Amino acid sequence: MEDDQRQELLKLFRERLTSAVRMYMENCTRCGLCIEACHAYASSPETRYSAVGRAQNIRRLFDRYFKLSGKLAPALNEAIDLDDGWLDKIYETAYTCTGCRRCMTYCPFGIDTQTIQGIAKMLLIGSDKEPKVLSMLSDMSIAKGQNIEQTKQTFAQAVHNLESEVLDMWRSEGGQEAVPLDVMGANVLYVALAGKHSMIPAAAIMNAAQEKWSLSYFEAVNFGAFVGNPQKTREISQRIIDEAVRLGVKEVAICECGTAYRVMKQQMGELPFEVISFVELMARYLREGRIKVDRSKIEGRLTYHDPCQIARNGGIYEDPRYIIEQLTGEFVEMQPNRAANWCCGGGGGLVAMGEKDFRMKSAKVKADQVRDTGAKVLATACENCHTQLSDLNEHYQLDVKVEYLSNLVAEALVQD
Amino acid sequence: MIDKLFYFVTVPMVYLAVAWAIVGIIIRAVQIWRRPRHPFTLKVFEQRSTLLGRMPLIGAIVDVFTMPTVRKHQPLFWVFLGLFHLALLALLVAHLDLLPQINIMPTGSKHMLGYGGVGVVLTVSVLYFMWRRFRSPVREISVPADYLLLLLLFLIFITGDTISWANSWNSGGFVIGKPEFAAYLDGLVKFTFDNPRDVLYGSHYVVVVLHVLLANLLLLLLPFSKVMHFFFALPMNKLRRG
Ligand code: SF4
Ligand code: SF4
Repeated sequence: MEDDQRQELLKLFRERLTSAVRMYMENCTRCGLCIEACHAYASSPETRYSAVGRAQNIRRLFDRYFKLSGKLAPALNEAIDLDDGWLDKIYETAYTCTGCRRCMTYCPFGIDTQTIQGIAKMLLIGSDKEPKVLSMLSDMSIAKGQNIEQTKQTFAQAVHNLESEVLDMWRSEGGQEAVPLDVMGANVLYVALAGKHSMIPAAAIMNAAQEKWSLSYFEAVNFGAFVGNPQKTREISQRIIDEAVRLGVKEVAICECGTAYRVMKQQMGELPFEVISFVELMARYLREGRIKVDRSKIEGRLTYHDPCQIARNGGIYEDPRYIIEQLTGEFVEMQPNRAANWCCGGGGGLVAMGEKDFRMKSAKVKADQVRDTGAKVLATACENCHTQLSDLNEHYQLDVKVEYLSNLVAEALVQD
Repeated sequence: MIDKLFYFVTVPMVYLAVAWAIVGIIIRAVQIWRRPRHPFTLKVFEQRSTLLGRMPLIGAIVDVFTMPTVRKHQPLFWVFLGLFHLALLALLVAHLDLLPQINIMPTGSKHMLGYGGVGVVLTVSVLYFMWRRFRSPVREISVPADYLLLLLLFLIFITGDTISWANSWNSGGFVIGKPEFAAYLDGLVKFTFDNPRDVLYGSHYVVVVLHVLLANLLLLLLPFSKVMHFFFALPMNKLRRG
């Protein structure tokens, strides 16, 4: 690696050193408590896949370039030079971490490994070694925002084609559009994913609740966050923010996508509207009696997987459980659950990247956890989790039906 | 020559080490606080809404002093960590108690606070930490500095124990007693620059010098070491609490 390039990368490193990150860099006692917190370690077990194992790759660079001790006595903390070989090592650990932050609930100081991996991902971007599929997908999202006027028509047509399927789930009142677009002053701007599975049940539910809502032209997923590029993360979210402001909506409801929810809710600063997860919206409709569901639709025992970005990192624990209570009398909790729940093993961009071998290998604990519930239906509220859990279901022959909460609610809607 | 060396270790080097540690700690703290704040919350949400969850600062203080995550996941480690940190506090108090101006143990008592037990707790705890670190999986994530720090602590405690035991249980009586240590520390506090050898006349003076030397080394290394977690445990836990 040329020295110029190294200096450029170190500049990127320095930019990520907020006061929090600097504390994380300097104060890990290497007590090892976080080791067993990581599903990848618990399933393998290899310490390179532990939180501290991953963070040490970055900490050793920090020691080499940002601390006097690393310059005077590099061997003491195993400080290391930044070169191509080390970047390859960084790649391996950064893109095997799902950013679930379960390790934070073990660490006596609460060191955030996901944030440390943010440095790793930035170094990979700077050296053009990041997973190209994630960069490409983020660029596509940004381009869509720039060319929205040209694509609006096609999108509207595609949405129009879905209307009959929405009406199959819920027969709307006369005059009510099944999937409304561009509704000025809507109460809710619903931001879906690209697939119709994320639009049809949600549309049926909001129509059933007689909500004044509008479908966003943009997909919720934020590949910029997966690839660890703060600039792209913001640009992707900004498209939705601009749309919400243009329509003057009260709330932006993010579909069942954990990362999209967390980015919009926590990482975009003050916004002129509320950000909620669609799970919260469904629970609200049920509590207020705006929708009713049939309790006999689900057959067999049901368990729920708390998506990390919605639950541990978003605080939404009780709403999904309230929804499930309305749907079935046969709910069984996974053990552990809520903040302690095991990550599904598909976050951090891993699902989008493929990586099926690693995803299956590193999520054995998750598969065991699901199997131990004896459930027939496995519900969740995140697309990434849904894909990963479906793959685990097949790979480990768990014999469960993996379902989105929204789909379960939509299928159980009671039409008076 | 050796006398000069002993004097350097027990007087000027103590001042240098303390000053170095204070300046180093301040520099480290300033380096951290001068960095920009993290642009978004790093909070992890609790299982269920609790009183502590609604008071993040109080929650973080409780986290620091009770280490609930350690208690939950590795109870034996938690016991030793708790004993170690409590004993460190007791050790600090016991050393302050040596000063003539401070009287925690009854006047006239020949014993340090804890009757030598504090040092034993510390030594045993450090031995446990070493044993743990030499074993997988902690061994795999350890670096040389981790072992050296434990070794340094062990040596400080064992020399401290030796001094304490020599004083308390030597059949020859109290070779260097509390009044002598009090005179030495009093001289340090008052910057008299007197030679401690004049008051610490026991035959194991060399152990005292070694003990002071090792403690000086710890102070010199402190700003570069992970011992700094002492100062940052609270702000880091506060970040997790939101
Ligand atoms: S954030 Fe999750 S995947 Fe990453 S190291 Fe921590 S526990 Fe493992
Ligand atoms: S639990 Fe925290 S302090 Fe201990 S090794 Fe892991 S990150 Fe470091």
